[in-house]
Amino acid sequence: MAAALVVAALTAAAVCSRTLWLGARRRLDERRGGGSAAAMVAALPEFLTASVLAVVVGVHLGWLPALGWYGPRWMVLPALALGLPAGALLGRMLDDLLPGAFAEPWALAAAARGISGRATARQAVRRCIPGLLPNVGLFVVGLTGGAVTVEQIFDIPGLGRTTLQAALAQDLPALQAGTLALVLLAALAGALTRLTARLLIGPALRDGALHSLHRPRPPVPRRTPLLYGTVLLAVVALGLTRDPLALDTGARLQPPSWDHPLGTDALGRDLLARIGHGAFTTLALAVAISATALLVGVLLGLLPRFSGPLVDTVNAVPAVLAGLLVAGVAGSGAATPALAVAAVAWVPLAAHTTALLEQERATTHITATKGLGAGDAYLLRRELLPALLPPVARHALLRLPGVALALTSLGFLGLGAQPPDPEWGLLLAENQPYAERAPWAVLAPAAALALLGALAVTAAGGVRRPRPFVRTAGQPKTAVALTDGETA
Amino acid sequence: MRSPRRRRVVAGLLLAPALTGCFASGGDSPGGDSADGSRLRVALAFPPAENFSPYGADATLLSRLGVTEGLTKLDANGAAAPALAESWTRENDRNWLFTLREATFQDGTDVTPDAVAAALTHATEAEPVTAALSGITLTAKKSGDNQVRVTTEDPDPALPLRLSSPGLAILSEKAYGKDRPTPVGTATGPFEITKANGTTAATLDRFDDYWGGRAQASGIDARFTADGTARTNALRTDQIDIAEAVPVAQASTLDKGTRHETATTRTTSLLLNTKSGAFKDPKLRAAAREAVDTSVLAKDVYEGYADPGVGIFGPAVTWAAGARSAMRVPPAEGWGRAEPTGRAKAADVDGTSVTVATYDNRPELPEVAQVLQQQLQKAGFKVKLEVREYSRLESDVLAGKFDAFVGARNSLLDTGDPVSILASDFTCDGSYNLALLCDKKVDQAVAEAEKESDTDERRQAAMNAEAAVLGTDATVPLVHQRVITGVGTSVKGVILDPYERALVGTGTRR
Repeated sequence: MAAALVVAALTAAAVCSRTLWLGARRRLDERRGGGSAAAMVAALPEFLTASVLAVVVGVHLGWLPALGWYGPRWMVLPALALGLPAGALLGRMLDDLLPGAFAEPWALAAAARGISGRATARQAVRRCIPGLLPNVGLFVVGLTGGAVTVEQIFDIPGLGRTTLQAALAQDLPALQAGTLALVLLAALAGALTRLTARLLIGPALRDGALHSLHRPRPPVPRRTPLLYGTVLLAVVALGLTRDPLALDTGARLQPPSWDHPLGTDALGRDLLARIGHGAFTTLALAVAISATALLVGVLLGLLPRFSGPLVDTVNAVPAVLAGLLVAGVAGSGAATPALAVAAVAWVPLAAHTTALLEQERATTHITATKGLGAGDAYLLRRELLPALLPPVARHALLRLPGVALALTSLGFLGLGAQPPDPEWGLLLAENQPYAERAPWAVLAPAAALALLGALAVTAAGGVRRPRPFVRTAGQPKTAVALTDGETA
Repeated sequence: MRSPRRRRVVAGLLLAPALTGCFASGGDSPGGDSADGSRLRVALAFPPAENFSPYGADATLLSRLGVTEGLTKLDANGAAAPALAESWTRENDRNWLFTLREATFQDGTDVTPDAVAAALTHATEAEPVTAALSGITLTAKKSGDNQVRVTTEDPDPALPLRLSSPGLAILSEKAYGKDRPTPVGTATGPFEITKANGTTAATLDRFDDYWGGRAQASGIDARFTADGTARTNALRTDQIDIAEAVPVAQASTLDKGTRHETATTRTTSLLLNTKSGAFKDPKLRAAAREAVDTSVLAKDVYEGYADPGVGIFGPAVTWAAGARSAMRVPPAEGWGRAEPTGRAKAADVDGTSVTVATYDNRPELPEVAQVLQQQLQKAGFKVKLEVREYSRLESDVLAGKFDAFVGARNSLLDTGDPVSILASDFTCDGSYNLALLCDKKVDQAVAEAEKESDTDERRQAAMNAEAAVLGTDATVPLVHQRVITGVGTSVKGVILDPYERALVGTGTRR
């Protein structure tokens, strides 16, 4: 688990390295693109990375043991599988905040004073970390309780698997013990992250001496989302013209050819057709759930006293367990899987919102606005929400593919998409056993998901301000921050 | 860059206390390679679910690892053979006399008639009752120096078969001290459990005083790995010597030399709900039977690691296979009258919608269900699939919530007696009657078979009962599975048992 954190941290560092490098040299204006690769990695399903790593590194190359849990050497592969997507996600969120930190007056002052770029970069990271800490905490707990599939693939006797088995076998003592351990861990992680946040920016929070971490200027609109969108649309459109259910067991696991551009699956069905037909169900549900989660997450995140403990508790419950609970309460209706996923999907968003809110409240411009006689409603509407929503919304988009996958992980309960429905998560799951013999069968849906992730992230940047002259237009937020800086 | 370092420090603080106790201990240490035989490393598919209780699902696991034995065992032909009992006689309808051989328990005490009688009595008192004894009441008493008399309440001609069940293993008196009997150091087999590490691993050592001679391997390191791909990968990276139940999808990644297939008594069938829903109509059941093409399933879904369905008992049940092949050649020695009779004529399906349920614990089953879906749709049915985890499905199937169910069942695992499986699965009072069948003719045929004591007559009667069941079209046998066992090239003497009760024996070595 610690190793997974290290991997996540390294990945996160790799993701932000470019921004840091540019920021340290005060050349952030040149920053362009980026983020797609991280979004693609973040969209990778853990179980896929895990099985590919086990087969390629463990079996074929023989560099590291493919399964078991007996010592540090056995940790590397599971850590990679778990850490890569999470690290990409955290890195992407950090990357989202960094430009704001670099645009703060102290950075400018530091540059003028001749302080080295390295030192500035270090301080910028320090400045942004508190906003992410709650999510790091969530990630730690999620690793312990929610890594069921990875534990299975590497045969690790983990807490998540034990708890889930206990739940399925209705072994109440074991289930209670497991859940209790998870809740305790969640509480501990929550307390620790809060403590660290306090250590990092405590004095500034108390004195209300922070600045808003807004991007100095919106990212330059890019063509990349168009590109991703076109590819995805083309695949879907081509797929729609084919039959996703036509079985031909004689033609199973065929490599890509003219007849089957993306190959066939274990029952000889055309993968292109299945991806195309699955797109709508997958996307519609995932988008709907993400939107709900965003709404709930932001609303609850704005009430930290109420949602704090709730976040800690709900996060301790792995999604599959939540599925079991929701199914128990709501029965196995059509809406149950969506409910179950939504029930946990809001947590990281709420945590993110709370962390940002805490900082935003301590900013000087809020003090100034209050000083000018603004009421709570005005503050919320005009100052807080505009500052919070964009990063949290981008975070939600980043998690969109994850939501699509979470829906599938409930399939074994008889919830969610049932075969032969070509839902994307289901496609991945049913072809996973064949990953080694027919890599295309898992690569195609995984690539589609990765494309979706990249599209969501890049579109969030590019679509908001489609006009080219925005680049030179005045930046109200920065202006406020600057004047605040002067008055402070 | 400060951030990763800082976070690593935080992570270290968070996790340092947890890390030390974090790894599973034991495992594949190369130790134990003494001059007389090295240790075997075995990966089993199902972890012990009940702390190695001999009465439940763990019983088979214990007998597969050569830990426990019963009074009798099944021979290759499915007949009862001597194990702890050297011989037996039927004194009258209800009394059997078993003569014990000279053997020692793993705790050093002798296998005495008192101990055996006590062990059997404990089994009858177990809650829930072990599968082999469901519906049976028996008492066991010492008789003379080395004999045990077993008395059943009703005449039970299949008693020696029944006593071969792994659930009726004989343990020493010491095993029954606490609330749950434990086979650790109290069984009679060639290997004894010395250390059980929860549901992840178990360490077994050779039991030197085994009555059948010392085992060649000095011990077993057993690992419980639920994921089939993980088991296969472990074998390929030489982390283990024997991998149980390699999934069909992984079979072709193994070398030919390490891949061993065994025809088993496990049959995958389509069970049709005869009590409610569309398939209450025998004509629609007949239509469904006619729509199914089993050869596609065996050839493509199971990639040839299965035989097309011929009946409830597949080709691994040698006598049934003999009887069936005799049906096509001129009748020999009384076999061959057992063809399904009285089947209904298929009716026009006319777009009837049905729900087919199955479970994904065996990864091939959802694929089978999808192929079936297409075959049934071609015949005119409208088919909806429902796939769940088995434990989430069973109660709904027994409650008749689905029209059809695709499942795999080892027809001879519990008792080795063909008649008791028919009784539990297809009669009105059956405890595991997933087809919800209640048919007078079937009940009568099964009742007749239950009365037969002569082995051959009983088998013939079982074939008649099977024919009666098939005649109702309540079940459509799809395929008879062959189980693939991955065995390292240096390993010899693995027992490939069609009844899935044995795996490691005295002759297994590396």
